Amino acid sequence: MTTTTSRVPLAKPASRRRPFNPRRAGAWALLVLAIAVSVLPFLWVLRTALSTNSALASQSASLLPADFTFGAFLRVFGLQSPAQAVAEGGSGAAIDFWLYLRNSVIFSSITTAGAVFFSAMAAYAFARLRWKGRNAVFSLFLGTMLVPPIFTALPNFLLIKNLDLLNTMLGMVLPYLFMTPFAIFFLRQFFLNMSREVEEAAMLDGAKHLRIFFQIVLPNAAAPIATLALLTFIGQWNEYFWPLLVGSQDDVRVLQVGLGVFKSQSPQGAPDWSGLMAATLVSALPVLILFAVFGKKIVNSIGFSGIK
Amino acid sequence: MTTLTRKAPPAERVARRTPWRRGQSDVKIAMFFIAPAMIGFVLFYLVPTVRGIYLSFTEYNILGDPEWIGLGNYQAIAKDPLFWNSLAVTGQYVLINIALQTALALGLALLMHQVAKSTLVRGALLLPYLMSNVIAALLWFWMLDYQIGVVNQFIDWVGLPRTAFFGSEAWAIPTQALINTWRHMGYTALLIFAGLQAIPGHVYEVAKLDGASPWQTFRKITIPLLRPVLVLVLVVTVIGSFQVFDTVAVTTQGGPVNATRVIQYYIYQRAFTESDFGYGSAIAVILFLILALVAFIQMKFLKGNESDLD
Amino acid sequence: MKKKAIGTLAAAAAAVLALSACGGGGGSAESAKGEINYWLWDANQLPAYQQCADDFHKANPDISVKITQRGWDDYWSTLTNGFVGGTAPDVFTDHLGRYGELAKNKQLLAIDDAVKKDNIDVGGYNEGLADLWVGQDGKRYGLPKDWDTIGLFYNKAMAASAGVNEDQMKNLTWNPQDGGSYEKVIAHLTVDKNGKRGDEPGFDKNNVDVYGLGLNGGGDSSGQTEWSYLTNTTGWSHTDKNPWGTHYNFDDPKFQASMQWFAGLADKGYMPKLETTVGASMADTFAAGKSAINANGSWMIGQYTGYKGIDLGIAPTPVGPEGKRASMFNGLADSIWAGTKKKDASIKWVEYLASAGCQDVVAAKAVVFPALKTSSDKAAEAFKAKGVDVTAFTEHVKNKTTFLYPITDNTAKVKGILKPAMDAVVSGKAPASSLTQANDQVNALFK
Repeated sequence: MTTTTSRVPLAKPASRRRPFNPRRAGAWALLVLAIAVSVLPFLWVLRTALSTNSALASQSASLLPADFTFGAFLRVFGLQSPAQAVAEGGSGAAIDFWLYLRNSVIFSSITTAGAVFFSAMAAYAFARLRWKGRNAVFSLFLGTMLVPPIFTALPNFLLIKNLDLLNTMLGMVLPYLFMTPFAIFFLRQFFLNMSREVEEAAMLDGAKHLRIFFQIVLPNAAAPIATLALLTFIGQWNEYFWPLLVGSQDDVRVLQVGLGVFKSQSPQGAPDWSGLMAATLVSALPVLILFAVFGKKIVNSIGFSGIK
Repeated sequence: MTTLTRKAPPAERVARRTPWRRGQSDVKIAMFFIAPAMIGFVLFYLVPTVRGIYLSFTEYNILGDPEWIGLGNYQAIAKDPLFWNSLAVTGQYVLINIALQTALALGLALLMHQVAKSTLVRGALLLPYLMSNVIAALLWFWMLDYQIGVVNQFIDWVGLPRTAFFGSEAWAIPTQALINTWRHMGYTALLIFAGLQAIPGHVYEVAKLDGASPWQTFRKITIPLLRPVLVLVLVVTVIGSFQVFDTVAVTTQGGPVNATRVIQYYIYQRAFTESDFGYGSAIAVILFLILALVAFIQMKFLKGNESDLD
Repeated sequence: MKKKAIGTLAAAAAAVLALSACGGGGGSAESAKGEINYWLWDANQLPAYQQCADDFHKANPDISVKITQRGWDDYWSTLTNGFVGGTAPDVFTDHLGRYGELAKNKQLLAIDDAVKKDNIDVGGYNEGLADLWVGQDGKRYGLPKDWDTIGLFYNKAMAASAGVNEDQMKNLTWNPQDGGSYEKVIAHLTVDKNGKRGDEPGFDKNNVDVYGLGLNGGGDSSGQTEWSYLTNTTGWSHTDKNPWGTHYNFDDPKFQASMQWFAGLADKGYMPKLETTVGASMADTFAAGKSAINANGSWMIGQYTGYKGIDLGIAPTPVGPEGKRASMFNGLADSIWAGTKKKDASIKWVEYLASAGCQDVVAAKAVVFPALKTSSDKAAEAFKAKGVDVTAFTEHVKNKTTFLYPITDNTAKVKGILKPAMDAVVSGKAPASSLTQANDQVNALFK
């Protein structure tokens, strides 16, 4: 029987037999609306990025770029001289774009890999292993999410300084490398929810936890782990204050810090709007590419569905 | 094609409930698994937090030495109208943000799962999250400006009265909530979506065989099986909302008057701008306690520690 | 538009370094050469200071200066971190609002001895500037770098079509009772959506298209650009003495009458309502043609002149009831970190920055007015060469109608109390008399 659409996914592909359905159309309309709301501001970002700063205010009503120019993008890539930049109303600071990009990639990759992996291990301990005080310790870890960041930045800075790791990639990476509270929480919830049959079977076969973790749990949790990795990567990519504190030298400066020059430089000054908007687009690009490449892995549901 | 039913022979069921041999504890192996995370936790979270709690009992301006004053800060906080104001304002923000964000994200996740699994859709919805908090706030600050912002120009064009989104006391907090929802909507939806995908397909098949209607399936199967993820989303979003800071710091800085002076911003103001770090730490400790309570209630209430798959 | 950073500093860890108050150790040879770090925030001035650094290095081959520019939003948080962590720069641009606190906490090096020894003539600076940088303890913590005053930027095209000529704009008068010719011009330049001017019958104050006077904000405790150029023409001053006063005067009836007049402008529809100004800056809305006159500081000259499509005029602030103009006088200086290891080199650099050698370079770029009298004259000429007439700003200095930015202890707390109070008054939610209560709160801080 053909099924009427519902909010529940069906196991069989119904697209061939499905007639036009107002409910489905309604669902699509809502989705399109959500996409529009998410994407339209980026069109504004693009429009501003292609404008000249001094014309922005006077042409604020226009939907097209004000005094079209690629100047902002040139500034972002460090291709405009400071004098030219100032002439266009932009920030006159120098930017070594490709270097900063490289640093961002290194920083984000290392922290994501470390945090996700170690958090997965800890999450497994909290979800699957039984030991006294498990829930108490988990609550403690959860508590770290509650700590206002205001407490942690300066002591961590001092610690890194005392370890003589200021302005090194290692120093920048350290606080994030071992875990993030969110990652542990996230994976624990997923592990809790995973069906245990295969694990139990393996255990009855005599497998130890270590093997079960690496050979069964991790592969089965590939989808949530991939999702978590992507979200963590984005979060790390956008980190600003900590890399600013610890990685202020050029050779370890990350992109977000480098592009911070486009923000307002003086107390009542305006930001370099076109530069800032161009910087936003450019710094989001690598992540978008990453998502495009790895997104498919997240699409394919690798949900465990039965005993072989 | 065998369909796995939820009923299992008794022996297996017993095995499922106690997968480890009775009496055995996994402490040793658990310690191994937790070790790296524990290092990070102690060094970068625990030590600073304890230090912060200590400082809440002192008078300290960062550049000098801390001076012990016992409960002085806490007593002052109790009498501080701005503190109570910040609680109210933050509470208002959290309620609006959570209601909006969770509802929208849940709806979006279901839509994505149901209608369009494509990477393109997911990518489009995730776009706002790619923008840093600060830049998103700056962008909306400009777009929602009363006089020359594009949104108000549109509103004017449609014939409605312009709105001072950031400037009017009534709209200030809702606007902050809207910006944060805009930015996090896709991200939260993605989380829930991941949870939806983790639900084994056979469960739905069984439901259908049992003759359940779509709404029943949603209520009795999807939501319960989504529970751990929903709890995650709720706890994280609630905690995150209580900690809102970036967008306020960049746009209204607590104004107009005190309408957006949220807790985290008030802490920053007292601790750094006014160099009253002990006082700021005391407020932060209170915030921490509030969040702990909220998280605890949520976890207990929603039974986030269990899985309904059993 | 004022912005704050995502700064999230926290308590120092147990292993915090002791903060040495004086970097006298290390032998004078060590501290007189090497590389010194210099921080500033204004990217527009970076090229000028880079040239100063290069010139300085030529004259002192043993010393090289590394300049780091950090935007205002991040400047103070990273600087404070540096103080605590021992990684602060040797020399940095300092701000009046902050230096009192830093001096109190022994983060700044006093340079009186050096000034005396090297015969620095503090009389060469525009009057009053050098005094700003002497702390409460009587020691000097900086040498003046630049100065700024307030002027009126206006849209020449709008003025012309309203029949207001340049001469009228340059000779405005004001008083708190009826607003003088200032209010008349503002009203006349206000236009509603139906084309009616603010002083014509049928003017709809709820449907204004162009405001006569733009609004920046409530102005908190200084009102530097918002209202101080008016209030201080009535014989009123912010504090009992300046610098280092201990009593604020916001309860003074003269002050409150002025604020009542100011708030009244928005009521009449000549100035935007406060809540509508949160968002784009006053300057940007001016450039969009939404206001005719903006009271703003000389540091904004570059931005206002840079706007496309605006024929800009600059006029001096109005003459007050006592027959004189008034403008707040502010200035930056460079300070030396107390924990520097390169004390002598830093002192040399600071002295160079404060000398004609560097200040003339800065003057030539026409971005800001350097502190030295001779250099600021050069700057005025450089502006003129660019086509900008800055006499509106310089005449305050020439005619001695300036008053200092209010410097007291607890500036941050004072601001924190006054900002919401001022906002309430300017937005019409509270009468000006409510400032008495705020004033009491503020003065209680000094007891």
